[in-house]
Amino acid sequence: MIRALIVDDEELACEELQLLLEETGAFELVGVCFNALDALKQIKEKRPELLFLDIEMPQINGFELLAMIEADLMPHVVFVTAYDEHALKAFEEKTLDYLLKPVSRERMDKTVAKLRETIRRGQVPSYEVDSLKQIPCQQSNRVKLIATGDVEFAFSDLAGIHVVSPEGMYFTELTLKALEEKTELLRCHRKYLINPAKIDQIKMLENGLAEIITFRNAKIPVSRRYLRQLKAKLEL
Amino acid sequence: MPLIFELLQQMAMIVVIAYLFSKSPAMNYLTGERLRNREKLILYFTFTLFSILGTYTGLPIQGAIANTRAIGAVLAGLIGGPALGVSVGLTAGIHRFSLGGFTAFSCGISTTTEGLIGGLIHLWLMKKNNPEQVFQPAIAFGATFVAEVTQMVLILLLSRPFSDALALVEMIALPMILANSVGAALFISMVRDQKRVRDKVGAMFSSKAFTVADRTLGILSRGFSSESAKEMVEIIRQETGVGAVAITDREKILAFAGIGDDHHRPGNPVVTKWSQLALSENKVVFANGYEDHFQCPLTDDCPIGSVLVVPLQMDQEVVGTISLYEPKTKLFLSINRSFGEGLATLYSHQLLRSRYEEQKSLLVRSELKLIQAQVNPHFLFNALNTIRAVVRKDSDRARDLLLELSNFFRTNLKRTSDTVTLEEEIAHSGAYLEIEKARFGKRLVVEMEIDPQLKGLRVPAFTLQPLIENAVKHGVASLLDQGYIWVRAYQQGRLALIEVEDNAGCYCKPLESQGLGMKLVDKRVKNLYGNEAGLSVECVPQEKTLIRVTIPQDKGQFDDSSADC
Repeated sequence: MIRALIVDDEELACEELQLLLEETGAFELVGVCFNALDALKQIKEKRPELLFLDIEMPQINGFELLAMIEADLMPHVVFVTAYDEHALKAFEEKTLDYLLKPVSRERMDKTVAKLRETIRRGQVPSYEVDSLKQIPCQQSNRVKLIATGDVEFAFSDLAGIHVVSPEGMYFTELTLKALEEKTELLRCHRKYLINPAKIDQIKMLENGLAEIITFRNAKIPVSRRYLRQLKAKLEL
Repeated sequence: MPLIFELLQQMAMIVVIAYLFSKSPAMNYLTGERLRNREKLILYFTFTLFSILGTYTGLPIQGAIANTRAIGAVLAGLIGGPALGVSVGLTAGIHRFSLGGFTAFSCGISTTTEGLIGGLIHLWLMKKNNPEQVFQPAIAFGATFVAEVTQMVLILLLSRPFSDALALVEMIALPMILANSVGAALFISMVRDQKRVRDKVGAMFSSKAFTVADRTLGILSRGFSSESAKEMVEIIRQETGVGAVAITDREKILAFAGIGDDHHRPGNPVVTKWSQLALSENKVVFANGYEDHFQCPLTDDCPIGSVLVVPLQMDQEVVGTISLYEPKTKLFLSINRSFGEGLATLYSHQLLRSRYEEQKSLLVRSELKLIQAQVNPHFLFNALNTIRAVVRKDSDRARDLLLELSNFFRTNLKRTSDTVTLEEEIAHSGAYLEIEKARFGKRLVVEMEIDPQLKGLRVPAFTLQPLIENAVKHGVASLLDQGYIWVRAYQQGRLALIEVEDNAGCYCKPLESQGLGMKLVDKRVKNLYGNEAGLSVECVPQEKTLIRVTIPQDKGQFDDSSADC
């Protein structure tokens, strides 16, 4: 059984696909998500092996969602779309498979065969994705997209991951690791990422510690472990 | 007494000179307008010549010359102002002085003075804002009269011995004053008549040209074809009175009217070398009938003797010719020649314009096609996928949805007329919305408020549906929670407003940078209702996007049959 997650903003489309998956008997459905944010959360929690991913979704489309998933968590991906052959052509080689809605049983069987073969060979999913241009943050029941260039720094605490921009502080589903992988942000501390473009000065402290002061006068701690790395990256 | 007859004889010569003058290019400058330097120079030479001629044709009397020199100087001043008058008077005066005699000096001075007098009268008339008076024979008479009297006084004052001068003046004063004044009046009268004839011919020609243009341009705008050409050649022939008129395209005669139409038939290929030359070289070809004879390649009995062929152009490309013919027995008037050339230029412009209009209407039709083709394939396949899911759960609903889908596509495909009623537009959008509601389920809520009085309002086809599709795409489809769409049509004063509002506020671009679909809606509403009509976008980010179609209701076209449904 392949542990699969459906991501599609249309309820009926999800139902339809769900029924089809059940018919094949090849999948264990771990969840259904109606938008990309929900999908990010469930991918973290449930670690599915496979995504059935719709391309046209509110705010964050399928391609953008892929760009937000960190490499360790990346499942295999089957795109499901009504009509986007053009966009898919470019993606064809990078994705495992793609299905056009409505999906026939025969076509689904082929996908299942292909999936089993890929998994049997132990192929690790890795997709060439664009770097992240916007960070999705949750704001009540809307998604606030923050351009990565606007981010000052990001940090984690007990509540989760927060992104700080001149406009304020936002909660995001993305992990620090994902942000580090996909954006220009640099690690300076186990719990902090800094945007190098926003650094005003780095103040050396005792014990090989340091402190970054941003242009807006925020103070970000730099741990011993990351100081050297940071210096190298900033070519200091 | 015999002297006055001699001088009157000279007047015959003045009339001849005036006639020649009126036929010369200098005549063109006698417009009563301010003269340019070049024109003044030409008038200077003309009148100086005239004046000197007056001296030579004069009669030597007692060591002096009784003459008509004054006319040139006075008229130069009268027509061209003091500077011209003095210049002519001075030149003629110096010339007189060089001939000698006891009045040589006084005559030289007085001719200059006479030019000045003419000039002063010119200034006086200009000041009175009455330049046309220059060409009044009475004024010319008066001016010359005053000038000649002055001359007599000057002779008396300046010539010595005084007794001789007095004797001379006694003899020549009356004949010279009269002869010069009458001569000047005669000259001006002659010139004025010629000028009138010219103006009249010009006016007649202009009016003829305008009549032809007016009557034929409308015909040409219907297209360049044998039908339109046939009507045009008849009109041109009628108005110009030339022997025959023909219009050809690049290969054949489209229409021919007039002499020789028994063998110059429409549909015949273009065979004359003149027409072929005009077509191939793109130039005006003229066979005037005496140096270059028109020779009919079809029959020797052809009455046509001369021809003018002017190419018709469109975008620098020759598309045909227009030819004017005269019989062997008649001269080809140059006025008709310039007329033919002007006409061809006018037609060439009109042809270009017609093509532009044609392309414009083609564009409108292709725009409609484009909108029809703009049906989003996404929409179709998503709809089919949705219906497939609905079939399992509720087959009756699925049947309804299929009906909506087919209605939507039928309307989309069969629309050929450019305008529909608002009600039809709402029905079309309704079918679309039913499908989308099924697709998005509870996430999409649509509310419609339509003023029943506006149902019959004519709008361009595909005005409302693209706006609603836009609201779905950038509204509900991009919202995580519920998406609302409000569709409203209401009246506000003299305006009819149609609005589509969503609660997403994701689509905040100004109209200029919006998609082709939105711009087309704007353009087509403006085409129908003028610039006051059109699309506007109001947007509060994250809150709402409102797209409004404004239609001035007083210009509104209503379809009554559907207004009461």
